[in-house]
Amino acid sequence: MSDFDQILVSEEWEDTDLSMLETLDHVLNRGIVIAGEITISVANIDLIFIGLNVLVSSVETAREVIRKRGTE
Amino acid sequence: MAFSPENPLSADPEIETSHADEFAEQLRCVADTLPARINIDAQSVEQGLAKLVLTLIEFIRRLLEKQAVRRMEGGDLSPEQIEELGLALMKLEAKLQELKSQFGLADEDLNLDLGPIGRLI
Amino acid sequence: MKLYAYCLAENLDTLAQSPPGVSRAPVRLLKIDNLAVLVSDTEIDAVPATRDNALAHAAVVRSVLGETTPLPFRFGALVTEQQLRSYISSRKPALEKKLAHVAGCVEMNVKIIWEPSAEKKPQPAHQPGPQGAGATFLEKKRREILGDELRASKSSEISAWLHDEISGLTRDEQVTVRPTEKLLLAAAHLVERVNIQTYRARLAETRESRSELHFLTSGPWPPYSFANIELEFETHFGVT
Repeated sequence: MSDFDQILVSEEWEDTDLSMLETLDHVLNRGIVIAGEITISVANIDLIFIGLNVLVSSVETAREVIRKRGTE
Repeated sequence: MAFSPENPLSADPEIETSHADEFAEQLRCVADTLPARINIDAQSVEQGLAKLVLTLIEFIRRLLEKQAVRRMEGGDLSPEQIEELGLALMKLEAKLQELKSQFGLADEDLNLDLGPIGRLI
Repeated sequence: MKLYAYCLAENLDTLAQSPPGVSRAPVRLLKIDNLAVLVSDTEIDAVPATRDNALAHAAVVRSVLGETTPLPFRFGALVTEQQLRSYISSRKPALEKKLAHVAGCVEMNVKIIWEPSAEKKPQPAHQPGPQGAGATFLEKKRREILGDELRASKSSEISAWLHDEISGLTRDEQVTVRPTEKLLLAAAHLVERVNIQTYRARLAETRESRSELHFLTSGPWPPYSFANIELEFETHFGVT
């Protein structure tokens, strides 16, 4: 795999280990999100939380890929 | 289990249930939503936007279905109108399925987390 | 050079033995203003979302629970030190308020599954004669939607019931209700450490009284469900 191809690999979560699944539920879905969240509010009510982690990384990486390809 | 000062809370959390398999099945779905956050090649920017758009369309489609059923229950639609409405909604559902598969998206991919309000769909 | 951030705490000056962090990297304590952040140094652009890394993240956060109640970061918090510093300094009051809110507490969880028996499912309306495809489609949708409404009202009822049973023992709660799913309700309770045993005992009693519900209880956890301060902000982009 090149650097820009699948840097991140998602494994099959085969386990039925409940303790592990509960842990994952906490760690993956909750906690402070520090980067790249946009909150769109209507009439002062928070409506949409869009996680931009992926998008920001993708745009940056996309630019890198394009730049890299340009020099090949 | 009493919590002693020695090593109480940094030990593994206790999990207690009489239905472990059921909960494991449900929680596995939760863990599976991870992929949306980690795919970082350029193509997935497109897919991310498609996902957003199709999620909103799907949301509206479901509202339309609910509304149609409500009208049907309300008794103010003729059998012909019910049939026409049903056919139109069927086509809409089929069209959305088509779009989903064009973008390689599964049913579970179409959702928006609205934070404290819960998920859109 | 980037940092992978695990959690944020106050009143933490030194890190005793920490378990290894993501990708087996060592964990250190970084002081920013008077807050402590547990971090690992890393060169990578993105964190491999593997099971082992997620569990390592959990283990690192959990390791300080004995001494203090941290605010955990969600898995995947990869930032530069500058980003971390500006995040903290721009939100200092909110973070301190959160830390005060969770101080001395842990998170306990209750999850409830409910599957109504077959008799409770909506019956088809009586339709005279043969139906066209459109009418059949709508009939099917009607049964689905009525089933959903049944679950929606049941889940409100269960949510209110659980709250009444347990709220005396919790400082705060975060409840997610998903009426269309088997896992109807997931509640996170912020419980003071001294109340953990009482909370558990109360929960054990309450479970008994609702035999039609399937329960899963877990804890104690670091307060993942009570950590995110972004929810406190009214507008980032205000659309009025």
